[in-house]
Amino acid sequence: MAHRWGMVIDLDRCTGCEACVVACRAENNIATVGEEQAGLSRAKHWIRVERYYEGEFPDVKVKFQPVLCQQCDAAPCETVCPTFASYHTGEGLNGQIYNRCIGTRYCANACPYEVRFFNFFNPVWDKPLHLQLNPDVSVRTVGVMEKCTFCVQRIKAGEIQAEAEKRELKDGEIRPACVQSCPPEAMVFGDLNDAESRASRLANSRRRTKLLAELGTRPKVTYLQRDSWHGDENA
Amino acid sequence: MPIPPAIYGLFPDPDSAERGMNALNRAGISPRRIVVMSAEPFDGYSFTQMDERTPMPWLAPMGGLVGGILGFLLARLTQEAYPYPLITGGMPLLAAWPTGIITYECTMLGAVLATVATLLISTKLPNWKPKLYDPEVSHGKILIGVLDPSDAARPEIENRLRGAGAEKVKIIGVSPAS
Amino acid sequence: MATKTPEQINDDLLRPLSGISGRYALSAALLAGVAVAAFCAFFYQAYTGLGVSGLRWPVFWGFYITNFVFWIGLSHAGTLISAILRLSNATWRRPVTRCAEVITVFALSIGAMFPIIHLGRPWLAFWLFPYPSERRIWPNIHSPLLWDFFAINTYLIASVTFLLLPIIPDMALVRDRAAGLRKKIYRALALGWTGTPKQWHRLETAMHVMAIVVIPVAVSVHSIVSWDFAMAPVPMWHSTIFAPYFVCGAIFSGIAALLLAMALLRKFLHLEEYLLPIHFENLGKLLLVMSVLWFYFIFAERLTTWYGNSVGEMPVFWATQHGSYAPLFWTMMFCNFLIPVPILAIRKLRSITGTAIASFTIVIGMWLERFLIIVPSLSHKYLTYSWGTYRPTWVEITITAGTFSGLALLYMIFSKVVPIISIWELKVGLRQVPHSARIIVEPKEVGAD
Repeated sequence: MAHRWGMVIDLDRCTGCEACVVACRAENNIATVGEEQAGLSRAKHWIRVERYYEGEFPDVKVKFQPVLCQQCDAAPCETVCPTFASYHTGEGLNGQIYNRCIGTRYCANACPYEVRFFNFFNPVWDKPLHLQLNPDVSVRTVGVMEKCTFCVQRIKAGEIQAEAEKRELKDGEIRPACVQSCPPEAMVFGDLNDAESRASRLANSRRRTKLLAELGTRPKVTYLQRDSWHGDENA
Repeated sequence: MPIPPAIYGLFPDPDSAERGMNALNRAGISPRRIVVMSAEPFDGYSFTQMDERTPMPWLAPMGGLVGGILGFLLARLTQEAYPYPLITGGMPLLAAWPTGIITYECTMLGAVLATVATLLISTKLPNWKPKLYDPEVSHGKILIGVLDPSDAARPEIENRLRGAGAEKVKIIGVSPAS
Repeated sequence: MATKTPEQINDDLLRPLSGISGRYALSAALLAGVAVAAFCAFFYQAYTGLGVSGLRWPVFWGFYITNFVFWIGLSHAGTLISAILRLSNATWRRPVTRCAEVITVFALSIGAMFPIIHLGRPWLAFWLFPYPSERRIWPNIHSPLLWDFFAINTYLIASVTFLLLPIIPDMALVRDRAAGLRKKIYRALALGWTGTPKQWHRLETAMHVMAIVVIPVAVSVHSIVSWDFAMAPVPMWHSTIFAPYFVCGAIFSGIAALLLAMALLRKFLHLEEYLLPIHFENLGKLLLVMSVLWFYFIFAERLTTWYGNSVGEMPVFWATQHGSYAPLFWTMMFCNFLIPVPILAIRKLRSITGTAIASFTIVIGMWLERFLIIVPSLSHKYLTYSWGTYRPTWVEITITAGTFSGLALLYMIFSKVVPIISIWELKVGLRQVPHSARIIVEPKEVGAD
């Protein structure tokens, strides 16, 4: 059976440290855009940590919510792309083929999670940052959309390695950069088609929620969150 | 193609043109050899009632049918042309709604193109070769004439055209010696 | 007008084609200057990247798509209205049809440029064409942008044909009165038209068929433009009312543009005896109906949203009602409804000046309407963290201004090349005598027997 990659993010564990954001940027050759452009909200964050505040000062609680591409099964971004730059791969990922992209930005409008980013200018890396580019990830040019790929380069590398060694992939063998770098281990990545994988089991937790589930996009990222109904129960 | 020999009269208004036409008809001239030219359609006058049968209202839907079939095939076949299925948004590869929209637009395009093609082919336009014409037509005159008149009939035609009210009668393509 | 002879009509309507005044040359140069500036701005943007526009995360569509919808909407002036008037055999239509159809062709061409202008990689726009490419990949028919491609091309071909067919006889008219190089040009343009009954009959049949075909095409074009928005799960876009709402808005802005163009043509080409108060009166009534219909649609849309009270939609709703977009929203309500309705409803005010003023405010209001459909929704999508804003830069403003002056320039050039009123159709209209009532007196024939 084909893999069906998914992720579980435990919001009760997330400390909002943004290590995932930094790791993602290093792994995926995401260029910084500079202070001025970032001020125009053109920064590219394949994963971001949203901060929401509850209560009135000084009795304030901060909630952190890492948001990345939800790899929806019914992704609104895919249907609207006229050139198949955005399409569904056999393993259930929302593929984004930079070479096919002509930059209509329609996918970014259709995406309710706002996790698609546009290259407003050609990316530049200040020296010596250009030396740390990841050779496994293509660098995007001006005018194309980009977004989280679940570190598809790591998925492919793991699959190829397992195939070469003529064995099954082990659960937890493949870890995207954000998952790998998460200090409190709030993020878990795995095969949702494997009912025994840690991600599958956590995705069935009673604390499970989906982001904007009411839109019917069927995301493959599950958030775990304690709420008043379910008490302190952990999965 | 040289201009064919002809004799024609220029009429100032549709009523006199109508009389000119009737006069030619009574002279027993074959309607196939009669030419009419005007700067307006003059619908409803008998001198414009020729060549009215056209398959255009039928060819337009036929063109639409052809366009629609081509559009349908384009929408269906191209989705399967890639080596592996390009699924988007959890939708079926061959979905009825978008296929219907493409088919509809191609149907309409087919109808438009068929209409224009029928018009151009049946009226033999564009055709920039020299042909029987008189710029007076643009000034509101109505030209009624006979193509390739026999020498014997020419004076009679001329008389009839003048009698019906032609302002001028012109003879072209015939050397004065004959 | 009824007292004019055919020859006088020829003289009046062909006069604008001969010679260029200083005022004409100056205004053409000014308009061309703005259009050239817009071209430069576009090439600068294509060379540098879309970053020179004001677009940003999460408002990825702004002025360009506003202009796209606006111009495609404006293009519903001509062909659609002309086709309806032709099919309903409205005799007063005759001096109006051509100036309407010209708006369609130019506005549509300009509108169709915007999806390319707004692309991140405009040099790859041809990938939307369904053609067997070396990449072995065809466009995705699921995408509404591809529907746009088919619909706009069909509409463009249909409306260009619809405009050009009745021009052929008028080109022959100019050909026969011109000399020298002009004669050669118009001889080519006239396609060898002679005016035989067969040609006339085929032309009229073709126009009739085209009028029937073009109406559903026009309706489908703006429906599909609306589906560019309605197919995306964006608050206040994802709505079933969008297709008819957009078609209504398109016809509304189209009639306004037509009236504005007619008022200007009447003044500058001295067509006072051809574009009569009755034309402004009739089209003004139509504009009034469309204004009320437009209000009905926006009322229904807002009412449903307000009662629905959906978490996703209410931020967009309030942003336009009394948030940061409220000034634009209420300007739109004034421009589209509160100002034009009294002007168009009171007979005394429904003069040529009155309809022109109402049309002017409506054109502005309808541009704002498209902006207010696009930007507030994109800047207030579901996750409050991702809310954003948008501010256009000089690049977008220059390109927008360039398209307005581009349309004016194209219109000016066209009215110098082609009679802006269909001469032969006008003459047919003057001869409205029922055939059954006509009696032909046959004088005694001379030299017969």
